Amino acid sequence: MLVAALLVLGFGLSGVSGVVAYFLPAISAALNITGHTTPGKGGHPLASPSTSPAPSSNQPFTVLLLGSDNDTKFQADDVLTQTMILVRINPETKAVVMFSIPRDLWVPIGDTGSLAKIDAAYADGGAAEAISTVENNFDVNVNYWVWIGLGGLVRVVNDLHDVNIVAQMPILDDEYPYDLNGSNPYDQARIAILPGPQRAAGVAALEYARSRHGDVLSDIARSQKQQQLLLDIKASANDVGLADVPNIANSLGDAVKTDMSITQVASLLPVAKAVGDGQVKQVVMVGSPYFSSPSYQIDGQDVLLPDWSAIHGLVSQYFPTS
Amino acid sequence: MRRFLATVATLALMALFGFAVYSVLGTLKSNKHNSEKPTATQALIDLPGTVYVVQEGVIYRLNNLHFTPLKAPKFDWVQVEPGPNGDILAVAYAPMYSNVYLLSSSGQVIRQLLSESSSQYFQNHWAYYPRVSPNGSTLFYVSDWVDPNSAYNVDFQIQAVPFANPSARAVVWSEPYLHYQGGDVEPIPLANGGIIYTKYDINDQAGSPDEGATYGQLVYASSPGVTPVQLTTPAENCSEPALSPSGTEIAMICSSNISLQTSTLDIASWNGTTLGPLVEISDGPLASSPTWAPDGKSVLYLNTLLTDKSSPFQLWWVPHATAKKPGAPEQVTAQLNFTATSPPIWNS
Repeated sequence: MLVAALLVLGFGLSGVSGVVAYFLPAISAALNITGHTTPGKGGHPLASPSTSPAPSSNQPFTVLLLGSDNDTKFQADDVLTQTMILVRINPETKAVVMFSIPRDLWVPIGDTGSLAKIDAAYADGGAAEAISTVENNFDVNVNYWVWIGLGGLVRVVNDLHDVNIVAQMPILDDEYPYDLNGSNPYDQARIAILPGPQRAAGVAALEYARSRHGDVLSDIARSQKQQQLLLDIKASANDVGLADVPNIANSLGDAVKTDMSITQVASLLPVAKAVGDGQVKQVVMVGSPYFSSPSYQIDGQDVLLPDWSAIHGLVSQYFPTS
Repeated sequence: MRRFLATVATLALMALFGFAVYSVLGTLKSNKHNSEKPTATQALIDLPGTVYVVQEGVIYRLNNLHFTPLKAPKFDWVQVEPGPNGDILAVAYAPMYSNVYLLSSSGQVIRQLLSESSSQYFQNHWAYYPRVSPNGSTLFYVSDWVDPNSAYNVDFQIQAVPFANPSARAVVWSEPYLHYQGGDVEPIPLANGGIIYTKYDINDQAGSPDEGATYGQLVYASSPGVTPVQLTTPAENCSEPALSPSGTEIAMICSSNISLQTSTLDIASWNGTTLGPLVEISDGPLASSPTWAPDGKSVLYLNTLLTDKSSPFQLWWVPHATAKKPGAPEQVTAQLNFTATSPPIWNS
């Protein structure tokens, strides 16, 4: 009897060890990715106390998605954020709003109020300053933040066995940054993406979402493509099973950071899976109402001067403050 | 001694069991979007004639349900187009440029038509969508054009060279709008000497609900440099025209709801100057690259699975495409991963 019990226990422990060994990279990556505090850069005081209080279960909440496409050129946490997307998720209705903030928007940064392009907030004061800048200027409450680097994006798309994109036009860029493959992160390359539906592996998907030169809308158009790629990745990720998690987590390990806890992320996964195409509202500030000048230069920088009354009108439609 | 050996064997079995659990978990990874090589599968429908398609840089011939790779040089082939006398025009991609070859139906290089080989990458060009005029005298294609006032602004334009002497100076057929929205692509040479092509532009009307929307529009140009006649509307957002063998119908891809990122397969009658109303014959979800059957009665195209917009692209077929009640789309292949920006060639 005792021998039988020992045998069952031994094989049970052995099986559990196999499971733990398999999911260890995922556990390790998840711990690495989640639960980050919201510090300023280099130990500076926080620009704001923290993100807004976490919402109670099933309450709508807002995540500030930060993306840096020059993370190979600079120290970690010293990067501009080429991507700033406010994502509001309503777990109950499964409705999602994605609202892109143009990186060239000329705004008071953090609580100091010094004027700069909004993409400098993260480099200047980390996630805290990016959040306070967005909250102060757009009159929204941000509950969480997520930062994504470009290398991880490429690996995740490859792990998902590619994604389908729909290029709304031919995309030609003779000065595309060639910083992932070569030794010099300032090298440039020519890229051409043909129009129409097509399947894209990691690098091609990144080229699609990152290129901005061959488009009259420049960064605004890039924001649209970035939102679209996120939805394309979500569509491919719907087929991911538990056994795929270690690979993907490994890919994300050093390329994603968030202040959400593991349990909060885990509770979001079923919600993300349940959100259908028609439930995602994509909002991009295109055109004349939102900027007092379509192109303007300050200190040699191309900037967008915001028309806050128009922008606040748009924001309040999708991000109620109460 | 026996007890010791039994203990060691049991412990070894336990370790093996743990390893087996680890290995079995690895086999449970999702393979829904893994694709096969075409040679490992066979078509679900026996299409008459021969079809050529591109998958992962290789050109395949589909004949009697079976796929065979062409014996072409090991380039990264990204696009095939019908050439004269059953030959194949093929685009080979290289980092930062592309070249066009004339291949025999078995894949042998007959000659290189367009060549880029400068060691200075910015002096090279892209060449896509090679198409030969119905009389076989002219090779149309698209190449990139850089605004001399701003190196950021690069668009495709349509050019033409003599098919017998493609190194001759190219004639520029289209001037992209100066809105830098990708330019002009997909030329269809017509028997009357003109071309139909897709022109990309953006709605720049301040205050319009569609301000900033990019769209493709089919246009017709009777000769090089003329202002083209618009055949479809910006709202219809159509592209990828394919002319039927009789020259009386055009199949195309339209995407009137950009936010949903879906595309439909439509056809319209064509009388040489104007297009009839669009008739949707496949509602996608991601229809692309239509090609007419040699008899002009059906249309072959690429699409994802109907219930999975994130799946790789397969061949699909619409029988009786020009009938009053077109047939329902039928799936021709499964588990493959065709290049969606390369329309299949369908020869008799």
